Amino acid sequence: MTTRYEQENKLKQTFGLERFYDDQWESIDRILKGERVLLIEKTGFGKSLCFQYPATVFQGTTVIFSPLIALMRDQVKKLNSLGIAAKCINSEQTPEENTQIIEDAKSGKVKILYIAPERQENSEWIEATRQMNLSMVVIDEAHCISVWGHDFRPAFRRIINLVKLLPTGLPVLATTATATKKVETDIASQIGGNISVLRGNLLRENFKLYVVKVTSEDEKLIWLGQNLDKLEGTGILYTGTRVDTEIYSKWFEHLKLSTIGYNAGLDTDSRIAIENGLMSNKWKCVISTNALGMGIDKPDIRFIIHTQIPQSPIHYYQEIGRAGRDGKPSNVILFYNPEDKKLPEAFIEAGRPSILKYEKVINATRNEQLGERELMKKTNLKQTQIRVIKSDLVEQGIIREVTVGRRKLFEYITNAPALNTKVFEELRNTKKADLEQMIQYVETSQSRMKFLCDFLGDSTTHNFTNCDNTGLHKMTLHPNDEWMQKLQDFREDYFPNLEVAARGSNIVNGVAASYFGVSNVGAALHRSKYNTKEDFPDFLLKLCLKAYRKKFGQEKFDFIVYVPPTSSGDLVKNFATKLSQVLKFPITHDLVKTRQTKEQKVFENGYLKSDNVSGAFSFNNPGILAGKSILLVDDIFDSGSTIKELGKLFTNFGVIKIAPMVIARTIGGDIV
Amino acid sequence: MKNEAAYWIALAHLPKWGYGKINSLIVKFFHNEKITIEDFFNLPESVWSNKYQLDSMEISDVQKAKSELPNNAFFAENLFSQGYELIPITSPEYSKTLKQNLKVAHSPALLYVKGNKQLLHENSMAIVGSRAAEGKSLAFTDNMAKLATKDFKVVVSGFAKGVDKQALDSAIKYKGQSIIVLPQGITTFNSGFKTYYKQIVDGDVLVLSTFHPKAVWSAGLAMARNPIIYGLADEIFVAESSEKGGTWSGVMDGLRKGRKIYVRKPEPDEKNANILLIQKGAIAVDYNGIENAKSVYTEQSTTTSIVQEPMQNIKSF
Repeated sequence: MTTRYEQENKLKQTFGLERFYDDQWESIDRILKGERVLLIEKTGFGKSLCFQYPATVFQGTTVIFSPLIALMRDQVKKLNSLGIAAKCINSEQTPEENTQIIEDAKSGKVKILYIAPERQENSEWIEATRQMNLSMVVIDEAHCISVWGHDFRPAFRRIINLVKLLPTGLPVLATTATATKKVETDIASQIGGNISVLRGNLLRENFKLYVVKVTSEDEKLIWLGQNLDKLEGTGILYTGTRVDTEIYSKWFEHLKLSTIGYNAGLDTDSRIAIENGLMSNKWKCVISTNALGMGIDKPDIRFIIHTQIPQSPIHYYQEIGRAGRDGKPSNVILFYNPEDKKLPEAFIEAGRPSILKYEKVINATRNEQLGERELMKKTNLKQTQIRVIKSDLVEQGIIREVTVGRRKLFEYITNAPALNTKVFEELRNTKKADLEQMIQYVETSQSRMKFLCDFLGDSTTHNFTNCDNTGLHKMTLHPNDEWMQKLQDFREDYFPNLEVAARGSNIVNGVAASYFGVSNVGAALHRSKYNTKEDFPDFLLKLCLKAYRKKFGQEKFDFIVYVPPTSSGDLVKNFATKLSQVLKFPITHDLVKTRQTKEQKVFENGYLKSDNVSGAFSFNNPGILAGKSILLVDDIFDSGSTIKELGKLFTNFGVIKIAPMVIARTIGGDIV
Repeated sequence: MKNEAAYWIALAHLPKWGYGKINSLIVKFFHNEKITIEDFFNLPESVWSNKYQLDSMEISDVQKAKSELPNNAFFAENLFSQGYELIPITSPEYSKTLKQNLKVAHSPALLYVKGNKQLLHENSMAIVGSRAAEGKSLAFTDNMAKLATKDFKVVVSGFAKGVDKQALDSAIKYKGQSIIVLPQGITTFNSGFKTYYKQIVDGDVLVLSTFHPKAVWSAGLAMARNPIIYGLADEIFVAESSEKGGTWSGVMDGLRKGRKIYVRKPEPDEKNANILLIQKGAIAVDYNGIENAKSVYTEQSTTTSIVQEPMQNIKSF
């Protein structure tokens, strides 16, 4: 047993800090005694020290399960600079790097090891844990354990199973900044073992909370165009979808504002570059889906703006929690158009596939072990749906995911219970009620901070003056003709990218004249294809030519090739012919289908779409193709399977460049 | 019990302790002192030494096992996630048949299983025999599996070639139920889990191992597996045995433990050691597993030369 005084002496030596806060000491003291602790404290409290310090005192290795790679990297860097042997294992490092770190951990060279919860499925890791000297287990972002939380992650299920198996006396710390009472109780009961819950208050006085009510997307774009540069410091703009991050960042680019778009679909290097740029204030604003920022330890994020209302006050609290960690005033702005409710509503409604789809999966796994891909093919379900279903069925003890060699397979559990659909209802109702509360946050005439604290179960009598209902001026809209015109100019000058370039194929990224659902383009296409059967209207041709010039400039192609239709006649052929007349590239009609394919839209997933078009095309006169470049034209780009298949075909025929151009690109969920 | 898995793995695989020694310790803390395995591991060394009479070597073994508990927890989590289950000897899920047959001295402290655990509580029949068996022995095996299935008995077999495999395949063919007793650790049986996936899902097969889950097949483990097969079964039928090897020593071990063991009465021209086993005290049965002791002994006296022939064969081999 040692005293706080002695421990603080050590703290000074290792971390250069004078003392623990009382609340920190309370949890550290318990951890040093080998207890289990759930620590709920707001961002900026110093939760990390509550496990980092004990980890340096313990003999062996402390393992920290964290879902946030950015946070791991960040903390490892900091610890290393203090001379503490910290490492992280994650999917962004090479297998060789990870193996080396595992070896180091086995030989006791790592004090603090950060790993993603998914790693618990990795056999190399499991093998290593048999030989490591383990001192403590930490679960960061512990709200991910709970289905009642805002960010439930199935991979945490195994971590909970693990914690239940850990012997008494091995300290376990779970931390989160965002947990309602219900989530708190859920986490505590799942971890079990006489866990003590330490909860701090969650209010953030330095936030300046605003809500801006609008009636259209245009009003948001214009307000931001007018005001973004006037906000103090640098910050983050959160949008509801990836496509919106693209549209907003292109709009700011059009206005020559210093911003950059970020989303989870970017490659690792780009993501790291943007995260580093954010840290060094390279841009006024990073535009992102909520994939960015969790766990990024930047003290001076001066504003956080949401263009889309989140699903619940707890999502909102979590996302704005990244602002103003340094305690200085920070602007927190939420746009709300009553229409915006539809997106979270759709998430909630579509969050669970139909019961029939669950049964498809259950029946398929009753007969054989199946991988995700085989399961998708057998059931014709989307990957996202399969993953939701899989997670629910695992949760209910109906199927399990096993590792056979390097493959992950799903299997049905002997004597499994029947599917319980009541749980889904209950979850859906809770989520609907939470969304309603989020709208209440917009509509309230009282303190917004108090509203959030109340929702989180942090009852406080504090008198708040930090929102536009309690002392701050409301933010107002001033759209005018000049700005409407700017927006119009932008719309006619912005064309979605088609990301199809792939190794081994000479296909390059292409361009679409528009998104399917964002403008009137989709409606025009649909009318021609399914109602009038008349040629696509001329404005589409003009838009495509603009898109072509924007993407390819004055580049010339040897041929225009169009994708032969499945059922909609000569529309694409006629369209391509007109393009060829204007661009003055010869058109060829030699691309043909060798077998009947089905319309791609009947297939729910990319694997079946690929199967549908695989080997379905040939070219009548391949001799003319060697060394040539072609512009490949189609009407609608959905999964890109057809375009990619043709890229391969033409590469094989010796074409040196295949550039795709389409009239519209769909956004996930569009009904074409 | 599930949360105690790390402790059970630690206890069950104490190096060189043997089932008897481990079980007597379990009897002391579980039955006499009525404390959990977790409590036992958390006792001070003085209590291990005074109350449990562990000597310093043994205490050091237990301390070492204790230090590996966190590692076992990771390992156990992985086992559970793969669908394996652990049944310690103190669990109501543990086979009563096994415990009765093998007693404290020979019952494994921990079973690793996957599949329908309920099969451990059904009436059971082991069908065993040589890897090289063919013809009449396999026909006998098939017929016994058929009869077992008709009587709702679970067929216990050892997943070796020959008789074992026939017993399993026949039980499946007749839509019966089977326990496969592995000669290896349970995590090294992936191909089998693939082959018998449907039967496991449907609750017709239970796979069981008493060895460390990572242990690979060895002749030693195959030998050590035999008493478990016998122990899990209410009745034991031997289709064919040579005069040495697993079946032979398994039957001899069973006879020593006082088990009734039925051996297929061979035809006069058969070259195996079935008659020899009958002479050692096993009970002769016909194609339908019916005991007909008299006729065997009468025939036996006239077939002495035939019994000796395979013996010579074996010796010259």
